[in-house]
Amino acid sequence: MGDSPVYADKHLVVTRTSEPAGLRFAGEIDITNSDAVGQSLRLAFLDTENPHLDLSGLSFCDISGIRALVDIALELDHGRSLLLHGLPEQLEKVMRVTGWSELPSLALCMCGADLP
Amino acid sequence: MSAAIDPADKFRHEALLYRGWADFVAGTVPFIKEGLRAGEPVLVVESAEKIGLLYNALDDEAGRVLFADMSEVGANPARIIPAWREFVTRHGGHGKRLRGIGEPIWYGRPTDELVECQRHESLLNVAFDGRQPWRLLCPYDVGHLDESVIEEARRSHEYVIEDGEMQISREFRGVEACGAPLDTPLEAPKTGVQTVRFDRDSLFGLRAEVTRYAIAAGLSAARASQLVSAVNEVATNSILHGGGQGTLGMWRDSNNLVIEVRDAGTYDRPLADRERPGPHSSDPRGLWLVNHICDLVQIRTLVDGTIVRLRVKIDPERHLHLVPME
Repeated sequence: MGDSPVYADKHLVVTRTSEPAGLRFAGEIDITNSDAVGQSLRLAFLDTENPHLDLSGLSFCDISGIRALVDIALELDHGRSLLLHGLPEQLEKVMRVTGWSELPSLALCMCGADLP
Repeated sequence: MSAAIDPADKFRHEALLYRGWADFVAGTVPFIKEGLRAGEPVLVVESAEKIGLLYNALDDEAGRVLFADMSEVGANPARIIPAWREFVTRHGGHGKRLRGIGEPIWYGRPTDELVECQRHESLLNVAFDGRQPWRLLCPYDVGHLDESVIEEARRSHEYVIEDGEMQISREFRGVEACGAPLDTPLEAPKTGVQTVRFDRDSLFGLRAEVTRYAIAAGLSAARASQLVSAVNEVATNSILHGGGQGTLGMWRDSNNLVIEVRDAGTYDRPLADRERPGPHSSDPRGLWLVNHICDLVQIRTLVDGTIVRLRVKIDPERHLHLVPME
């Protein structure tokens, strides 16, 4: 698998984490990269049961970016979830106002792990 | 009357023109009691002062009335229709009748907010132009409000109650005209405007500029990041639906930070900014978010494009500790 990023462009880098298995985001997601990010995440999640997402380095995410995550979460098989870590305040507010904070398959992770 | 639909079977938007406190009580308390006795849910959205007054006047019936503070619910007038919709959805349905009282327009309300309240009053007719039967009574303080405000109330309400008598307003502009695009001119900024042109490739840089400007103007980091989210959604609309580009202007106006986006798009869905997002992930959410972040949102349709103006309050205490911008 190596250390090459799962996704990278001028404003965003997504890398894999191992324990727990998941992805770390650093940068910004908006209309210019949300489709591409969604595509590559979909592939990256194929082999992970409940992917952990470290969002603490995501300095901006617009509605199209959250929609990309929501669409993936909605496609997951029953019982599987995207587990969110380090949800920034800006993102939390946007998700709450837009009605996306109560999806069972897109949940704040309670495992307490700091993603390595 | 020869109308096919009994007016009691649809939404009734009534303006109550009152003079002084006694007149206010005389116009509202019987309306509330009549509703309660008919088993209708009643929601009153008024100032804290008037809620206290009604609470006393209703005595032991007050406990059956729902109250909400208009200075909170209607701080941004675009949030009032969603609140009424929630009330109607939660307590109405299956032909059950309801009653409401709402007074978003009061003496001393700043002009830009007043204009948006008047737009809100018109849009109520569009939002509830359905079968749900309910009566919304909107008190207007004729003793203090400008005559032009009362004239507009006669155009935005199908019924007007004056001197204890209800009449059909001959000036009512009709539901269709109530939803027509708004082209009322916006007040020109008094101080220097910082202007930035943007398109898809410069959206990232635009956010950085708005962040810098908002922090320098005295917004907290948390508030600035919320504002950037709002501005980003409006600019994204310009990129996707408004010709691919737009112009953003930023300025300060007393204790407000104002951000305006102009593009070549057409804004033709009058309730688009106050529709609660539906269950599908593809449902629009941008303008809903904008209205829940900003203190005031003004949307104008011009012959050649659209203006969206956002206003957020600057915390003056915080601002005092900052070096003024040139």
